[in-house]
Amino acid sequence: MVIALSTASPLAGVLSRRTAAFFALALVCLMLFIASSTAFAGDSGSGVAFSGNQSIDAGAQNENPPAPVLTEADYPRFGGVNPRVMVWGAAQMHLWFAAFVLAVPIFVLCLEAIGMYTGDKRYDVVAYEFLRVSLTAYSITAITGGLLLLSLLVFYPAVVRYLSSIFGPTFLIYGLIFFLESGALYVYYYGWHRMGSGGLKWAHLGVGLMLNAIGTSLMFIANAWVTFMMTPAGVDIRGAFDGNIWHAVHNHLWNPMNLHRFIANIAYGGSIVGAYAAYRFLSSRTDAERAHYDWMGYTANLIAIGALLPLPFAGYWLTAEIYSYSQQMGITLMGGVFAWIFIIQAVLIGALFLAANYYLWCGMGRCDGGARYTKYIKYIAFVIAVSFLVWFTPHTLILKPWEASALGGQYHPYLAPLGLMPAKNTAVNIMLLFTFLSFLLYRRAGRTATTRWAPYGKAVQAALFTAAIANIVYLGVWYGYFTNTVYKVASSVPQVATTVAAISLCMAIESFMFRGAASAGRFVWGRMPERSQYSLFLIAVSFTWLMGLMGYVVIFIFWLNHIGSGKIFSHKTLVDDE
Amino acid sequence: MNNFIKVVIFSLALIGVFTAFSIWYVPPIIPEPPPTASTVAVVPDMEDFIRLGEEVYNGKGACRLCHHLAGGRAPLLDDIAATATVRLNDARYNGSAIDTEGYLRESLTEPSAYVVAGYGVAGTGDTRSPMPPVTSPEIGLTAMEAEAVIAYLQRLAGVEVTARMGEAAR
Repeated sequence: MVIALSTASPLAGVLSRRTAAFFALALVCLMLFIASSTAFAGDSGSGVAFSGNQSIDAGAQNENPPAPVLTEADYPRFGGVNPRVMVWGAAQMHLWFAAFVLAVPIFVLCLEAIGMYTGDKRYDVVAYEFLRVSLTAYSITAITGGLLLLSLLVFYPAVVRYLSSIFGPTFLIYGLIFFLESGALYVYYYGWHRMGSGGLKWAHLGVGLMLNAIGTSLMFIANAWVTFMMTPAGVDIRGAFDGNIWHAVHNHLWNPMNLHRFIANIAYGGSIVGAYAAYRFLSSRTDAERAHYDWMGYTANLIAIGALLPLPFAGYWLTAEIYSYSQQMGITLMGGVFAWIFIIQAVLIGALFLAANYYLWCGMGRCDGGARYTKYIKYIAFVIAVSFLVWFTPHTLILKPWEASALGGQYHPYLAPLGLMPAKNTAVNIMLLFTFLSFLLYRRAGRTATTRWAPYGKAVQAALFTAAIANIVYLGVWYGYFTNTVYKVASSVPQVATTVAAISLCMAIESFMFRGAASAGRFVWGRMPERSQYSLFLIAVSFTWLMGLMGYVVIFIFWLNHIGSGKIFSHKTLVDDE
Repeated sequence: MNNFIKVVIFSLALIGVFTAFSIWYVPPIIPEPPPTASTVAVVPDMEDFIRLGEEVYNGKGACRLCHHLAGGRAPLLDDIAATATVRLNDARYNGSAIDTEGYLRESLTEPSAYVVAGYGVAGTGDTRSPMPPVTSPEIGLTAMEAEAVIAYLQRLAGVEVTARMGEAAR
């Protein structure tokens, strides 16, 4: 994708606009077709072969047809192609591009606003360049969206019919909003220079705001479909729709998923733009170009890592809600079939943190004063590496009988405790704090505090840091291993609060302490080793993998929900109905 | 070397590392479709019935998913049949069972009749169990399978096995 973006030519731009228009139209037509066919389908359930043979004796039932009870035969195979993998592939391709085109306008808007506020033209220039990159991806988003829709119609026909019978009206709204988003995006992009000053600039900012509001709404609608497939609501125990579409939209995972995706999109978008900037940096022929793309890469990386910091917490909320809905689903997710996928996820996130820190450490070379802090890097690297090892230590090992016998059980006698969530929560909070420390040192590289109370300020910061780590470890160890499950899960909240408080307070002290700071040497944008740029590629590739993995889990759970007799994870519905 | 080629090689190498890790470090897991029914059609004697209970407990019933030492999600059931009388006399017990066997049966079909302290749904003060009834669609045990689980739990605790084998089998 990086390559495709970086080699976009003016001709490609023209083609992409035409392609985008064509596929957008096709997508909307298909949506309208599905919505209208649903509207005319009446009560027959759109032709789905409902067996209705489950012996269910609980919960209020309504007159709508029940959810289809599907078997593997309801998922057509063509030439041995696995339908689930096909749908996952198509969905993932769409999500990658969709996440990117939804995220970029968010930080473009922020950069434009910062540029207007500060009067610094660089923000405006870089914001426009970000948007230009996303415009090419927008056409690919439309194409992959059409591919996903086609895959669903071909491989999951019964599921699509069932979803249409519930979400038909939202398909219609989705299509209309898609049109609106396209319009807003083109006005925002093509009006960038024409609306570049005076009152028109404010109007342009307004268009950007509208574009983001529309794009986010679009994502929220799609999230309702996805989360309904995992935690259905607005249906009775048989899966029969209760007639209130808001109940189905506002299902158990909708809000956590909205927040998680919103933040994750920003992180992902930042990483992709960072990779683009890194490529342009490597290809630069002049110092001015190198400086520009170094700054662009730094800004994009800052956005990506800035969004990465709160992402685990949004992830915790999402996972906690999954457990709250159904312990079985949670256990299957984190401790069953998918446990090892989360080990891969841990490795990827560890790689992300290491790469992000490495980039910051290299960034200290932009300033002569950075050498003062390089001696601390090895300690930070050690702590992050140890935390990383804790994070990807598995708990349940899949062993052969002789291995289990040699080990004395399924769990490693010493390392097994590190496989539990309290250890991982502790590790990730410490990783976040030390990444923040790298950022703090990077900020100080070019400046020397001149305030009289600076030594005391630094001492307070050190005390805050130490206290935060002690508290995080205490919470993780005591509540994680010496109390029951309720407290174990709940302890992650004060751990997060500790991290956020420590970062906020340290940052506040830092900003006051370095007010009017003296320069610690010449700061030169572009004075970065080439190898540092590869860390930006690593971040982009890791983010892409991460999204792919988690997308696979979502599709698999959805599949288990349906092929697994449509009843595995539905007990919350039963409880609610009771 | 051309930057484009260097970036491509780096990206491919990175993807290769992640792929190799996923293929060789992570053990392949091939999920089986969920069991739909027990394989025992005719139950000739109590020992077979108890074995069926063990099979259901560890397999189709997915009991061990939560009633397991690791994770502490639900209380262990090793001696549940022996300690049932204590729970029947607990002030928080709000079921209608009068003996151990009845308590076990009730716990399987109405888990909220008695919730062990600390294991209830958060915010309910241990009055509601997160466990679904075993005969509900999400677990889907038959009456015979549920009785077999009761027999297994009684054997596990070392008490007399009184589960209704004949009645369930009929």
